[in-house]
Amino acid sequence: MKRLLSSIRDGNGFDIVLVAFPLGFLFLMAGLPLLYNILMSFQEVDMFSLGTFLRPFVGFKNYQDLFALPETWPILGNTAIFVIGSIAGQFLIGFGLALFFWVNFPGASWLRGLFLVSWVMPGLVVGAIWNWILSGDFGVLNFMLRETGIISGNIFWRSDPNYSLYAVIMANVWLGTAFNMILLSVGLASIPGDLYEAAELDGANAWQRFWTITLPMMRSTIGAIISLGLIFTLQQFDLFAAITSGGPNNSSNVTQYWAWDLSFRQYDFAKGATISVIMIVFVMFASVVYVRSTRHEVRG
Amino acid sequence: MGIRKYAVIGALALAGVSMFGLSAKAEDVKLTVWSLDRDIQPAPHLVADFNKLNNGIQIEYRQIQFDDVVSEAMRAYSTGQAPDIIAIDNPEHALFSSRGAFLDLTDMISKSTVIKPENYFPGPLKSVEWDGKYYGVPKATNTIALYYNKDMFKAKGLDPNKPPQTWDELVEDARKLTDPTANVYGLAFSAKANEEGTFQFLPWAQMGGGSYENINSEGAVKALTVWKTIMDEKLASPDTLTRGQWDSTGTFNSGNAAMAISGPWELDRMSQEAKFDWGVTLLPVPQEGAERSSAMGDFNWAIFASTKHPEEAFKALEYFASQDDKMFKNYGQLPARSDIAIPATGQALKDAGLKVFLEQLKYAKPRGPHPEWPKISKAIQDAIQAALTGQSSPKDALDQAAEKIKAVLG
Repeated sequence: MKRLLSSIRDGNGFDIVLVAFPLGFLFLMAGLPLLYNILMSFQEVDMFSLGTFLRPFVGFKNYQDLFALPETWPILGNTAIFVIGSIAGQFLIGFGLALFFWVNFPGASWLRGLFLVSWVMPGLVVGAIWNWILSGDFGVLNFMLRETGIISGNIFWRSDPNYSLYAVIMANVWLGTAFNMILLSVGLASIPGDLYEAAELDGANAWQRFWTITLPMMRSTIGAIISLGLIFTLQQFDLFAAITSGGPNNSSNVTQYWAWDLSFRQYDFAKGATISVIMIVFVMFASVVYVRSTRHEVRG
Repeated sequence: MGIRKYAVIGALALAGVSMFGLSAKAEDVKLTVWSLDRDIQPAPHLVADFNKLNNGIQIEYRQIQFDDVVSEAMRAYSTGQAPDIIAIDNPEHALFSSRGAFLDLTDMISKSTVIKPENYFPGPLKSVEWDGKYYGVPKATNTIALYYNKDMFKAKGLDPNKPPQTWDELVEDARKLTDPTANVYGLAFSAKANEEGTFQFLPWAQMGGGSYENINSEGAVKALTVWKTIMDEKLASPDTLTRGQWDSTGTFNSGNAAMAISGPWELDRMSQEAKFDWGVTLLPVPQEGAERSSAMGDFNWAIFASTKHPEEAFKALEYFASQDDKMFKNYGQLPARSDIAIPATGQALKDAGLKVFLEQLKYAKPRGPHPEWPKISKAIQDAIQAALTGQSSPKDALDQAAEKIKAVLG
C-alpha cells in the first residue's frame, strides 16, 4: 500500500495517473459516442427506440441500402471535390500570403493579424454573408463580374447545379485561408536564417532557395496543415446549411450535411450513423498523417 | 418584548400562509405544454389565461425551437418524460399517433360541447386523424394562394381584376409580366429542397388529379412540366430552387416579381412593405372547372398517451379551442374553424386577401397523414429538383419518386 502511494507521488504510478485522466476524458467524451455511432450503424433505429441501447441487429443492411441509393456516389464524389478544392485553395492562397508577409515590410504583422478576422467569424455568419454575395439576381459577385465585363448574364451560383458546389468551396476557401496562413507563417519563422545566408553565398537564386530550403524545412508544418484542413473541411456544415442546403438536386450535397439531413430531417438515424462511420475512416486517415507529421515537433 | 411578540405572530402567520399555499398547490393538477410559440404567438397567452382561471389545473409552458420539436418530443417520449400536451406540425402528427404515442381523443371529443369535428375545416381535421380516430385538435391553419401586383398588371396591359385562373393563363401572364431589363420576374415561388418545396408543389399535383400515393399521374407530370416551363423561360428567378417562401415573397414585396405564391403569414409584412396595389386570388387550376386544391400548414394540439391526467389535459385543449375566435385579431393566425367569422381589420387589402385565403382553405389538403411523411416528402423534393435542373424529364423524375414512395408505403 505504501509503495503504491509513493509510486503515485513520484514514480511510474504518477505517470500512469497523468495519462489516465486525459485518456478517461477522451474515452468518455469522444470514444463512447464513437462506439455508439458504430453500433447504431448496424442496428435498425427507429425514433421510438432512440432511448434504448439494444435494438434489432441488422448486420450490413444499412450499408447495403445506403450504397443502393442513386445519390450516394455523386455525394461521395462531391465530398471529394469539396475537400480537395477547399484544401488546395486554402493552402495555396494561405502559403502565398504567408510568403508575402514573410518579406516583413512595414505593417506586415498588423495586416497579418487583420486577416484572422475571417477565421474568427462563426460559420453561419460567414454563410449568410456569402449567401448575399453569391445571390443570383442581386448578388455582389455577379455585379462585379458584370461590371468588369467578365460575364454578360448573371450566374446563379447557388441554384445552378454546375456552380453550386464551387460556390460553397469559394466561401470555405475564404474562411480557412487565414488559418493556413498563420500556421504557415509560424513554420516559416522557425527556419533558421543562416541556412539562407549559406545558400546565397553558394549562389542559389530565390527559386532554388525556396525548393531546396523552404519546402523541405516546412514538411512537417505542411503535413500538419493539410491533415487539419481535411478534418476542418469534413466537418464544414454551416456553410452548406446557409448557402445551398445541399441543393439543387444534391449537386452541392456532401456527406456531413447528408448525414444530418438523414438523421434529423428524415429521422433515419441508422443511415445517418452509417455515413458518419464512413467519414470516420477518412478522418482517422487524416489523424494518422497529422500525428506522423507532427512527431518531430514533440520529440524536438 | 413587544417586538418579539409581533415577530412570533408574524412568523406564525407566515407559516400558516405557506402551509395554506403548499396545501393548495398539492391539490392542483400540474400539466406541461410544449409548443414553438413565442411571446407574440398564441400558446403562451392561452396558458397564462388558463392559469388565471384557477380551476385546480396549473399549466407549465415550455417553448421549443421549430427544428427540435420532433426530435425533442421523441426523446422525451422514449425516456418517459414527455409533456402532457404538445403542439406538433401537422405532417408529423401521424408519426406519433400511428405509434400510439398520442392519446385517442375520439370519445372525449364526441362528449365535448366545445370541440366539435363539424366546426373544423376538413383538411386540418384530417391531419389529426389516424385509422378513423382523432388523435388531436387543429391548433391553427394556413394555406397558399396567388398574390399579384395590380399596378404591374395595369402597366403591362393586363386587367388587374382578372388575375390568372388556369395554369395556361398563369404562364401566359407571367411571360407578359417578366421584364429582365427592369429586374422583374413574372412569378415568385419556392421549389427548395425541403418541406417548403413539397408544400408548394403538392397542391399542383393534387389539382391535376395526383396525390402523394399517385405522384406520377398524368396531371402531376403536367404540373411539374408547367413549373419547368416557368423555370426554363426564366419567368421566375433560378434562385427559386434554393430560396424559401419567405425570401421569395420578399422579392414580390420589393417589386422584383409580379406574382407570388405564398400564404396568409405574408399579409402583415406585405401591408407594411409593398408600395403598390396588390390582390390575392385562388391558386390557378389546370383548366377551367377543374378540382381545386391547396396546401395546408400549421400545427395541431395533441395529448401524449403517457399523461397521468388525460381529463384535465383535454379540459385545457377545450379552453384553447374556445379562444379560437380571437386568434386572428390578436396573433394574425387563422383558426382551423369554418364556424368562426373573422372580423374585418379595417385594412382593405388585408381583408380582401384574408377572404380569399378562407375560401382557399376549403380546398386545403393535409400532407399525408402518413407516419413516414418526411421520406415521402423527400422523394417529391428530389423529383422537383431533378426536373427543374434539367437532370431528368418531369415524367422520369416523378416515376422515380413514385417508386421511392411505393417502397415507403410498403
